[in-house]
Amino acid sequence: MQSNSFYVKIILFRGKISSDIKYLYKKKNPSERPMVLDVLLQAQQERIDDLSFRYGCRARNCGVCTVDVNGKPRLACRARVKEDDVISPIATLPVIKDLIVKRDSISRQLIGFNNISRKNNLNVEADKAYHNLTACIECYACLDGCPLHKKNNLEDKDNSAYQYGNPFSFLKLYRLYIDPLTPEVEKKRIIEKAEILGLDTYRREFEKLKIKCGVGIDLKNEVIKPLLDITYGDQVEKKYK
Amino acid sequence: MNNIKKLECDVIVVGSGGSGSSAAQAVAEHGLEVIVISKDPLASSDTKICEGVMTVRQAGEDSDSEQVLANNINLAGGDLPDKKITTAFAKDSKKAYDRLRVNGLRPHINTNRNTPKTLAIAMGGHNKSRSVGHKNSGLSFGHVNWDTIVKFNNIKYFEDCWFLDIVKSACNQEVVGGIAYDACAGALLSIRAKAVVIAAGGLSTLFFPKTDTMRGNTGDSYAIGIRAGAHLVDMEQIQFLPFCLASPPSYEGLLAGEPATGSFLGVIRDKNNKVILDSVYLRTRAECSEAIMRAVADGRGSPNGGAYLDMTANKKARRSGKFFMEYLKSALPSAYNNARQALGKEAGKANIPWEVRPSAHYMMGGVRVDEFGRALTYDKRNKKIRPISGFYAAGQAMGGLFGSNRLGSTSLTEVAVFGHRAGEHAANYVKRNKLKINESDFKDQHEKFYKMFNHKGKFKAYELKLDLQKKSWEYIGAARNKTGLEKMSNYLNKIEKKVKDIYVPLEMIWNQQLIEKIELQNMILSAKAVTFAALNRDFSLGGHVRLDGKRKKIFSNPYSTLVFFDSLYNINVDKVKREKTKFKILLKYKTNELYRLYSAKLIRILPEALRDRIIENKYKKILGSKATSIELQAGSLEAAPAEVIR
Repeated sequence: MQSNSFYVKIILFRGKISSDIKYLYKKKNPSERPMVLDVLLQAQQERIDDLSFRYGCRARNCGVCTVDVNGKPRLACRARVKEDDVISPIATLPVIKDLIVKRDSISRQLIGFNNISRKNNLNVEADKAYHNLTACIECYACLDGCPLHKKNNLEDKDNSAYQYGNPFSFLKLYRLYIDPLTPEVEKKRIIEKAEILGLDTYRREFEKLKIKCGVGIDLKNEVIKPLLDITYGDQVEKKYK
Repeated sequence: MNNIKKLECDVIVVGSGGSGSSAAQAVAEHGLEVIVISKDPLASSDTKICEGVMTVRQAGEDSDSEQVLANNINLAGGDLPDKKITTAFAKDSKKAYDRLRVNGLRPHINTNRNTPKTLAIAMGGHNKSRSVGHKNSGLSFGHVNWDTIVKFNNIKYFEDCWFLDIVKSACNQEVVGGIAYDACAGALLSIRAKAVVIAAGGLSTLFFPKTDTMRGNTGDSYAIGIRAGAHLVDMEQIQFLPFCLASPPSYEGLLAGEPATGSFLGVIRDKNNKVILDSVYLRTRAECSEAIMRAVADGRGSPNGGAYLDMTANKKARRSGKFFMEYLKSALPSAYNNARQALGKEAGKANIPWEVRPSAHYMMGGVRVDEFGRALTYDKRNKKIRPISGFYAAGQAMGGLFGSNRLGSTSLTEVAVFGHRAGEHAANYVKRNKLKINESDFKDQHEKFYKMFNHKGKFKAYELKLDLQKKSWEYIGAARNKTGLEKMSNYLNKIEKKVKDIYVPLEMIWNQQLIEKIELQNMILSAKAVTFAALNRDFSLGGHVRLDGKRKKIFSNPYSTLVFFDSLYNINVDKVKREKTKFKILLKYKTNELYRLYSAKLIRILPEALRDRIIENKYKKILGSKATSIELQAGSLEAAPAEVIR
């Protein structure tokens, strides 16, 4: 039989100092299989009343509770936790405090986009490829392993946009691109923006690109590949097909 | 006071969800400067996690006139809704929906009608087909709201930023701006602006973990509102979803199903296996919650303080059983997944009853506004209600639209319609207004909030918050009585004193204790408003269940409760009379309701084989429809199997 409590390591950052906390999680009943979020809530209640972490809906929808578990990004509300697991802030964004990371330098990359004319007939269907992309919950799990995002300076904590893109920002751009109501002029801007954000890096590293979506969108084939095809044309077709 | 950043804009919008993004867009399109303050990441709101079904008038039927829709809301809301507000809702729903579509919302299209495709089934409480579902539920709205805020160069936004209070001018009491705590930057923001739109959501976190909504719903809207002098209306009217999970802990509070999930033969049972409510699928959320909470109060509740949703009769039926399973899985997929994961395989197959308990879902009351979103107060000098210049509220923050009961799928329309209306009115107000903002009006507020840092004390905000959440569920939750409400009132007075003795360290960057304290204060004030309003209505009505009171007689005169501060910051209560729907319309509505209920009861007592065939045909009609291919998700009311339209 499993015991009624187990240790989990939580790595917290305060100022520039990181500290490891060994926290003994007490199960609420013997059959409980807790999630990471349960551990964090109990730790705040029992031991660290100022433990700082994000959560929202507890049901894998809002995308704000992402933390690293044993070095890999997971949604705290739906990631089961076991003895000796290590919980730390996601490594791909700057830490503000404890498990809180600064997220908005990513959204700021897209300021000024999404210009759809008002005069369209709105009764048009978007195709499946479009709807597949709105499943994104913006959890930022896809930043892990992204060769492009890695180039950004994560020390920057002001409210400016990151220079280089990431699978999420390209998903946003590509979703706008395939929106049936996006005008041609705007599509051109979108592709220019993709290039400015460094899409080229994906072109070079496409084969070994390993990015994982938190909710299972095939980012490589449904976002990156079509964007590369549009931007660089036949060349890529030949090279990577 | 080195850490005060001074900013200036035309309109401050508090909240970045459905209402906030609509308001920000409306202002930005006037070419004005907007600052959006959001404590959670951009657009991570209830809109993002909801079922994604939206009420759009005439989407399904041309006969769906403005009057028909407005009447539907008024009657469902027990005549508590403000008729000017419901009229505005009915008038603007199509326009508001099209604005979202211009921003990138893409529904399926009914090519015959050249309209967005509605669900095959009328949502709970609607009398016309007007509920439009969306792929990926609320997420599709989340993307649109995000895009809308990010799109404008004249919208600045701050995430991880707690809006503290509205600042008004000392002489004329107009809005001159607001103060916010930017946790990432470790600074107080002092923002001059002639208008503020509060779109900061509801208060369900008062009942955490017995809630299915976002953590950020700490009653900020109502607390900020009442402190700025606004009246709060219908604060006792909190919508609880009856069928939410009671265990295991990770799933506690999340949605398992809606009344519709019960399907034709679903019933609620107490721990003694006695049926406490039948024909569940035709009942309102409030009726189901009440039945469960009465059982709990009488000691007949389940181990985790709920009751059992028993759908086994649906499953056992020889012919229709398999259709039921298909229906159960497809009607509310994410709710079904929650239930299956939480309660196990046998529950997933509906072979055993589900343990369920109500959860807080939506605040129907809120800041009293007019149809333009202007917050209202009482002017003692002229003895009449007047707007507070420059103060607006929209979405869950506002009250007066739903009264005592909210129809399914209407909240997304509420945020789009009234977010826009508030933003639009605010923009025009700012353009006309030549007010000179005086820096001295901010001075007291700077000092007040600056003093909150580095505060000695013996209490921890987080611990007090947990205690408040327990007490809130017990005394002002899904079931209430006079003794409990009075206990709550005393408790709130005590906890208010403790708040003055909370420890807050000096650190400016992400001061968690300060954040907890700010939210705790807002929760306490909101809980107070709920308690006072609930004491002011001594019978059950809609979301307000008084176990010790009588039921409201349908022909009695409707009134809404009001809660507000007097000049000494003491809470006062009052009532406002509401216009009664004409007797003829009311009678028709009630007859229709009873007819449906008795038809359902009749089906239950038919011989089994006959019953099975009738039900099988009904399922075929629902499941055969193409519209069911849209996946409906958590929180939705749709798919009442008996309500197939045409």
